[in-house]
Amino acid sequence: MSALDELRRLRHDGAQVRKRDNKAAFWFLAPWFAGLLLVTIGPVLASFGLGFTKYNLIQPPRFIGLDNFARIFTDERLHNALRVTFTYVLVSVPLQLACALGVALLLDRGLRGLAVYRSAFYLPSLLGSSVAIAVLWTQVFGTDGLVNRVLAFFGVEGRGWISDPDTALSTLIVLNVWTFGSPMIIFLAGLRQIPAVYYEAAAIDGASWRSRFWHITLPLLSPILFFNLVLQIIHAFQSFTQAFVVSGGTGGPSDSTMFYTLYLYQQGFGRFDMGYASALAWFLLLIIAAFTAINFWAAKYWVFYDD
Amino acid sequence: MPRGARRRTAWAALLSLTASLLVACGSGSDAGGDLTAEPVTLRFTWWGGDDRHKRTQQVIELFQKKHQNITIKGEFKEWNGYWDSLATTMAANDAPDVMQMDELYIASYAERGALLDLNEAKKHLDTGDFDQKALATGAIDGKQYGLPVGLGMYSIMVNLDLLAQYGIPVPDDTKWSWDDLKRIGEQVSKAGGGQVFGVQSPGINDTAGLSIRARQQGQAMFDAEGKVVLPQEIARDYWQYIADLAKSGIAAPPSVTVEKASAGLNQSATATRTAAFGLWWNTQLTALTAASGAKLKLLRLPGETQGKAPGAYYKPSMFWSVSSRSKHPAEAAAFVSFLANDEEAAKILLTERGVPANQKIRDAIAGQLKETDKAAKEYLDTVPVSDPPRITPNGASTVDAILKRHTEDVLFGRTTPDAAAASFIKEVQAEVDAAK
Repeated sequence: MSALDELRRLRHDGAQVRKRDNKAAFWFLAPWFAGLLLVTIGPVLASFGLGFTKYNLIQPPRFIGLDNFARIFTDERLHNALRVTFTYVLVSVPLQLACALGVALLLDRGLRGLAVYRSAFYLPSLLGSSVAIAVLWTQVFGTDGLVNRVLAFFGVEGRGWISDPDTALSTLIVLNVWTFGSPMIIFLAGLRQIPAVYYEAAAIDGASWRSRFWHITLPLLSPILFFNLVLQIIHAFQSFTQAFVVSGGTGGPSDSTMFYTLYLYQQGFGRFDMGYASALAWFLLLIIAAFTAINFWAAKYWVFYDD
Repeated sequence: MPRGARRRTAWAALLSLTASLLVACGSGSDAGGDLTAEPVTLRFTWWGGDDRHKRTQQVIELFQKKHQNITIKGEFKEWNGYWDSLATTMAANDAPDVMQMDELYIASYAERGALLDLNEAKKHLDTGDFDQKALATGAIDGKQYGLPVGLGMYSIMVNLDLLAQYGIPVPDDTKWSWDDLKRIGEQVSKAGGGQVFGVQSPGINDTAGLSIRARQQGQAMFDAEGKVVLPQEIARDYWQYIADLAKSGIAAPPSVTVEKASAGLNQSATATRTAAFGLWWNTQLTALTAASGAKLKLLRLPGETQGKAPGAYYKPSMFWSVSSRSKHPAEAAAFVSFLANDEEAAKILLTERGVPANQKIRDAIAGQLKETDKAAKEYLDTVPVSDPPRITPNGASTVDAILKRHTEDVLFGRTTPDAAAASFIKEVQAEVDAAK
């Protein structure tokens, strides 16, 4: 047997072993694939199909073509829900990121007990979209709540923040801003990546704190900022729990906290109109995709990659 | 076949396949057949509070003792979560066998074929001791989709302690009008100095206030076919009344009213003694007396003698319904019969689900009732009523939510009573049409 044959045999055996290994891996991955198919892809496809039907959850779905999608353009309550959702996204996300960056900058300066602060600021992110916090929020911003008691101490007369349509959405925005912990942690990690030599050089040149921030920190942090922006916008579009709990599932008062997802939910489970709800879900997907695409397009102009 | 049509056929085929799968799993035994001796498990779901859960569990145990082969699995929830989960289990063809059903939803479920006609199960379910007027509230086109559990009536609950404190006499409720309520409410608000208000604003949580006003004028929300026939002037006057209450300080400021409406019975103005008069179910007297610690009394509705007919009516507090897809309809019917007709069971349940609609049971538990329950029963037995309104039609389950939104719009000055009236009627009609 020549050396070449020997080599071929070895290579063949190796391939066999690799094949066996792969097989084992596929078996171990099978439950995950099954889950993906049954719990994610299946329902997603089903909802796409249901979007073209009238389906009341009990009787068989009836094909009605594009009616559900056409209704999106004439449904005034949906247009209100879109207004509410856009306001929420466009106001709360920039505020939240500004807070996250601000606190990250403070925490980056080697404070004593840094870990404690980090945890303290991160905590609301873990709890923020939970039912418990939303319930707490209704207490804090209620007529007899903490906010009004503090205001009363300063002689200012409060109001029913959550039960007044003029302020209800603002309290939800405050709630979202308050959960700035998770983008903050990401910012902190990003700040640690910026080489100290840049700052040293700038300091030697006599650059002020402000110009160091504008010319070193911000450009080098821009990929992180971009990442957070994309993530938080998607996240904000999908907000549901807070509005659901705070308004008792109604989106009230006067539809002022009617988030898109809440409206979708009401159509499906309140009005038994799963067809329309499915169409709405796909329309939301389009909206989020459009926002993300715009973000990526705009990123060319302001995101700076060091390498 | 053109491409679009072929695709459409493919979708239709896929969907009808799913649908036929759903239907195929549903065929069960006959509701009129004999009870089986095989072991059977029934699922039974209801909404309510802790007290109800405990009592219901005791009744389940009692039933299981008498039917050793039947196991009842109780599933209980809060009102909001209840309807969401019922809708989803229905869709998954996994509906419980026996359900607590509400007037708002019964037509929506029945007309979609989700509920069993209890007449088919007559062999196991006796309804002989029920008032015909009460039974009719659970029937659609002669089919009995729900057996009324308890009966309730709307009433005005007055806090006697507050009136005594301010030296205001209790009004004569046999002939008082809506204007009288406003006038006395104003006196209370004046005496209350911004802490106590005369009237808890009606119409936030349900359509009762509006429906009563329509009925007093000889009108109704829906006609027999389920069409919205509420005259716009009646709706306008109703919202004007609520707006006046808020503006003149007879009721609390709008944001307080809205907040209290979603906070539940224990936070209501009646329970916290911050309003002297409130529109409530007569059967809530016990719970509100406990929550407020005050002496409360049931008054007849205002305007009952000025109008054309009494607005008051018997409303079933809830129904027992059986799923049309139940595999054991006969056993489910037997269990419903036990809940509705068994005296031992009744003595555990008492008036927790309203004053029993079964007249024989109502008399059987009379001796065991608390004073407030007795007052609720007496109210039901003595106050004149007219025929019940048509059941909330299929699709109109959201009518309360629509009313709430319009009331909020009026209270916060975002619309006028007139515009609210027009938009409300249009919207409810659209919901009914959409369900067809």
